[in-house]
Parts: sequence; structure tokens; C-alpha cells
Amino acid sequence: MKRRTLGSWFADLALVAAGFAAVAPVLWTLINSFKTRIDIATSVPRFFFSPTLENYAYVLSRESTFSGLTNSLAVAGSAVALGALLGLPAAYALARYPMRWKNDIQFFVLSIRFLPPVAVAIPLMVIWLGMDMYDSKTSLIVTYTLLTLSSTIWLAVPAFKRVQVEIEEAAVVDGYGPYAVFWKVALPVAGRSLIGAIAFSFVLVWNEFLIALMLTTSDAKTLPIVASELTQLGRDVPWGILNASVILLSLPPILLIGVLNGFLNSSFKRKS
Amino acid sequence: MRFDKRLPAVFVLPSMTVLGVLALVPTLFAITIAMQDRELGQLMPPSFVWFDNFIQLFSDRRFLNSIKVSLMWEVVTVGATMAVAVVLGTLMFERTSPRWRAVLCLLCILPVLLPRVSAAFVWKFAFHPLFGAATYPHRALTGESIDLLADPAMALITVALVDVWQWGLFFAVIVLKLLETLPKQPFEAARLDHASTWEVYALIALPMLRGPLISLTFVKMIESLRAFDLIYVMTRGGPGIATETLDMYAFSQGFIESGRISYASSMAVLMMIATTIAFTYLWKWTRR
Repeated sequence: MKRRTLGSWFADLALVAAGFAAVAPVLWTLINSFKTRIDIATSVPRFFFSPTLENYAYVLSRESTFSGLTNSLAVAGSAVALGALLGLPAAYALARYPMRWKNDIQFFVLSIRFLPPVAVAIPLMVIWLGMDMYDSKTSLIVTYTLLTLSSTIWLAVPAFKRVQVEIEEAAVVDGYGPYAVFWKVALPVAGRSLIGAIAFSFVLVWNEFLIALMLTTSDAKTLPIVASELTQLGRDVPWGILNASVILLSLPPILLIGVLNGFLNSSFKRKS
Repeated sequence: MRFDKRLPAVFVLPSMTVLGVLALVPTLFAITIAMQDRELGQLMPPSFVWFDNFIQLFSDRRFLNSIKVSLMWEVVTVGATMAVAVVLGTLMFERTSPRWRAVLCLLCILPVLLPRVSAAFVWKFAFHPLFGAATYPHRALTGESIDLLADPAMALITVALVDVWQWGLFFAVIVLKLLETLPKQPFEAARLDHASTWEVYALIALPMLRGPLISLTFVKMIESLRAFDLIYVMTRGGPGIATETLDMYAFSQGFIESGRISYASSMAVLMMIATTIAFTYLWKWTRR
């Protein structure tokens, strides 16, 4: 039984405040996205207003938003698929097989995260310009594969390690070859964690900003760039439209919250 | 278990080749560009100036300022994130029922999932001097507007708050999960010895989690280097150069103000060398 002391009241208050602080800003943005300009630009925050869908209609009807959306989906989707295709087998081998330089390989994969994005983006801009591929989806997909591949490997290694060796040994006894063990046993058994790892790498590139900002100018612009351009508009800021575009941009990662939460839970198992 | 001889090579080589090419080519190119005199849109082929850009950097006061801002950013965001994470994670572990805990966890990982551009805008609007919800109490009490992002003394702290909002709450969930993995016996033993709640955590639980907490700090240090999006949307390095971090300054030298790609690249290279040395050292140190 927990006693009610002054300290415990403060503790509970802090927890409520934290929960509120986590969602309130996002909820407020959501509410604002249904407001007209007059209802948003008020000194006293307004809770009661007649909602409008105009902001969403405007954002979705804009050519730039639509192309940003398709670019983001194509680029993030392809880079994540490439990362998974190349990364999952590598992670499996790193998790299961004895290997020379295993630590060095894992450190190399991690060290890619150390690279400052500017340091990658500037030379890549020069390279893609030289190859006449600047501002193309292909160049962005290739660049993003660096991010998805390293993060997929990094998160999938522990997921494969959590698969019990006995299951794989049993499959070998049943006559499965080493590749069949990977495809038909390890991959499905680790499946849920792997989906979490892949969802993480999707969120990573969907949210990516600096590299996309430097490597695109018009044709291949992704959604974060389009949204940030809206936020830089001059005096007559269309706040409602801005709020609506922020919500649209944030929707895919938020929809993955369940998958990622499950991934977190499976990553930390209780040791008794 | 029997191990296939060829599988590791077949599985590991392709991705290592891709990673190697994608990481090394830009790195080498960055160093080459840094030693040239490239500018955006120049027609003449670039020539080598060797270390001129680097020498110039050290008499560039804006560059020295951006180092200071970057270091302050690292210290403030990493420190505050870890403090929030440890306090909040411990409180969640101590006070919540399983159902509330699940709900709070879900709420607390929401901010980190938002694209930084979104998070930056959400708070930029919340801090709007005239219409912002976060500045409303100040307006209501004093009748005056307050523009935190235009105040050189407050701008960096205000942007850092957004970073801590995203990462501190998320790391609190991680700390909670880490506490859940600890065995129960030491806690019970301590309580039998009449240790106070505070002592149980400060002297037993957190020291047991020393390793994972150091790793978390390490992750946050790397992540804090990627604050460009927040600063770009919220202040663009302003007011003046009060929030101009290294990557922001490199970006504005290369793309906004002068198009001096080589100069920007020399900054990026210095940043790369510094972070690689620092993080390699830290990584080896945490793995000891």
C-alpha cells in the first residue's frame, strides 16, 4: 500500500504534468488546424469556435504539398525497403555467426551515426551535381539508404539475438539448410521486433530535414521541406494552414506509435 | 550449432560494401572540397588552396561563436534530458499502476516521433508573442507581450526546451523500462533495512543502471548534434548569432549568404573530426 504523503502528492502532480506536457502541444496544434484565421490569431486562446476543414482542403489541394507527399512516400519507402533488404541478413549473420572483425563491423555501423549530416550533405551535393542527378528522388534514396541501412542493422542485431538458438537448432535437425533457417525460422520468429526496427528507420528518414534541404530544390522536395517553407512565410502568416500541414506531416510517425511502443517493450525484458 | 562457412560473407559483404561506399566517398570528398576554393555557381574549375580555409576559420569570430553555441547546446540539452529522464522515469516506476504506466508511456513517446520540423513549429507558435498559448499566462498577468525567441539571452534555452520535450520524455520511458528489468531482491532488502524511498533509488537502483545510463547519455550526445532542424525553423540562428550552431553556420555560409561551399565544408570536416575522435573515445570508454 502506498501512503499519501506530501511528497507523493508532488510526485503524482509531476506525472500528470508530464503527461499533459507531452500531448497538450500536439492536441492544441490539432485543434488550431480546424480554426479559421480569426479564431487562431487571438490573444486569449480560444477553445470554442466553429470548426472548418478549409485549412486541410487548401493544403491538400496545393501542388507542392501533393508532390512533397508523394516524394516523401517514394523516397522513405524505397530507402527503408533497401535498408531492410540489405540490413536484415547482415544483422542476422552478425547476431548468430562467429566472425572475424565482428566488433569492428558493429562499431563501423554505429560510427555512421556520428557523421554530422552537414559533412555528408555538402560533398554529396557536389557529387550529385557532377553526375547530373541533383534534386532527383534516386539520389535522395541512395543517400537515405546510408541512414536506413545502418539503423536497421543496429536495431536488428539484438532482435535476432533474442531468438532462442534451440529453435534454430531444431530446424537444422529437421533438415533445414542455413539459408532456410534464416528465411523460415529466424525471420518469422524475430518478426515483430524486426517490424519495430524497420518502423524506426522509416520514422528516421520520414522526419529527415537537413540532407533533404541541401539535396533538393524543386522536383524531389520532401514533405518536411515543403512544410518548413510554409513556416517561413512573411507577414500574413496563414496560421491555420500551417497547423494543418504540421499535422499532416506528423501523421505517419504518429500512426506507427503502437508498433514502436511494442518494439520498446520487447527490447527490455525483465530479468528475474 | 553447425555454422555455414559462406553465409556470413554472403549476408554481410553486400551491406558493408554499400555502407562503405556511401560513407567513405562523401567523407573523402568533403576533405577534398575543404581544401579547394569552390563556390556555388562558379564557372571556373576549382583550384586547391590546401589549408587556407582552415586557417581562416580560426580568425572567424562567427565560427568561434558557433563552437561556443554548439558546446552550450550539447551541455544544456544532454544534461536536461538526462535529468528529466531519470527523475520522471523513477517517479513513473514508483508511483504508477500498470494501466496508468502504459498510458503515460504512450503519451511520453509521442513527442519524439514528431518530425523535428513539426515539433519546432508547434512550439514556435506556442511561443508566439501575441497569439501563443505558452506565452498567454505572461500576457494575462502583465498585459505585455513577451518574445522569447527574439531575446538573445533566452532564445537558445527556449529552443533547447523543445529538444528536451522530445527526448527527455522519451528517455524517461527508457529509464522506466530499465528499472523494470532490475531484480527485486536488493530493493526489498533495502526496505527491510528501513532505507527511505529516496535512498533506494539514489543508492541502489540508479547505480545498478550506471552502464545503460551512460550509453543513453552517449546516444543523446550524438542526437543533440542533429538539432539543425529545430534551430532552422525556430530562429534561423538568430537573434543575431545567438543560436547559430556549427551546422547552422556552415549551412548559411554554404547556401544562404555567400555560397562558399569549400569554406562550409572545412567547418563540416572539423566537426566530423572532432565528433569522431570524441565519440570513438567515449564509446571505447563506455565499453570498458
